[in-house]
Amino acid sequence: MFTNNPFAPVSDLLHPSFMKVYIVLMILAVVVGTLLDVYHKGSAKFFARRKEKSRAAAERQLSGGESFSLALETVAEAAVSGELCKWQRRLSHLLMMYGFFIYIITTVAMVFFYPGVARLPSILPALWTLGASMVLVGGLWFFFVLRVNVAYDGASPFHLGRADLFVGSLIASVAFALVWDYAQTTYANPTATWILFGLYIFFTTLLFGAVRWSKFAHMFFKPAVAFQRRVEEANGSSDLPRPSAENYIVRS
Amino acid sequence: MPTYTDMTRCDGCGECVDICPSDIMHIDPVYRRSYNIEPNFCWECYACVKACPQNAIDVRGYADFAPLGHKVRVLREPEKGVISWKIRYRDGRLKEFTFPIRTTPWGSIKAPSDYEKPDSSALTSQMLSHEPAALHIDALPTINKTKA
Repeated sequence: MFTNNPFAPVSDLLHPSFMKVYIVLMILAVVVGTLLDVYHKGSAKFFARRKEKSRAAAERQLSGGESFSLALETVAEAAVSGELCKWQRRLSHLLMMYGFFIYIITTVAMVFFYPGVARLPSILPALWTLGASMVLVGGLWFFFVLRVNVAYDGASPFHLGRADLFVGSLIASVAFALVWDYAQTTYANPTATWILFGLYIFFTTLLFGAVRWSKFAHMFFKPAVAFQRRVEEANGSSDLPRPSAENYIVRS
Repeated sequence: MPTYTDMTRCDGCGECVDICPSDIMHIDPVYRRSYNIEPNFCWECYACVKACPQNAIDVRGYADFAPLGHKVRVLREPEKGVISWKIRYRDGRLKEFTFPIRTTPWGSIKAPSDYEKPDSSALTSQMLSHEPAALHIDALPTINKTKA
């Protein structure tokens, strides 16, 4: 399970280029879904208007170097999920984020560069399993314990809504990927293996195909908002009050 | 002056849902961010505004102190014991106010359950709960019942 390319046996039943075409289609689905989401929400207009307002209210103009430095700070914050204030949510998000990156990169590498079983570096399937497991652990922890509507709003841990489309399809996708991989290396039952493969493809298609309706696009617009907020704080156009110069804590 | 959530700032932590005494801060089922479900029932206590760690909750000021088109923002700095407010009027004027809110560190006030359980003799004491220690004084005067 940790040493085999899970995508290699797919060519036994389907066309050898099936997985390659599928991945290209999913990338296109993400691009189209994000553009439709931006159009539907008017995010581009909102950001342009906010930028214009910020420029008009700015007390000083930022240099290129300052903007670059703010961009680096934003990337550093996003890399540690610093926008989340609770450590449990941050840890769960980090598990899902880095697990997802590892899972996606190793999937693309195994499908495009190592389509057969030969010459496959053993680190790739091991990382693929590790990435999927990280997403699964972080996702299940978030889904059953940390979801704010469950933790604070009295919703059942099994409650499913539109807000769960992204995390639900992500969890189902990696869960069936792992189960399918385990089944094809452990049991010699091709029917069950292909059913699990079908479920994996269904939930993966749901994950990437439903970007227009899910929270998938947050990974693009969240850093943009964080950067704009830093720019506003730096150029003096922020609506937030200035931090107090005095400390009123005088007793222990 | 009911509150509303800026969804681009909210990270869905649930602090406002937890603290709202009117139970009108809830979680949006589509975006999983907080929102005020019934501004008419807002007590305007601003507990959510002050509790929000992301400064994501704003208020709409009444027209008698800030005509329409303004922006009211709040910054809570628990480590300094202060809350600051900033109003940007529609003609561009700015006003900022800073209010000290406490003199002891955030989270340092003990909950009643953290204190030692009083025994039955406390029922006959003239002191209120945890007096005089909670008042940071050595003793309080008591009424002499025989003289009274």
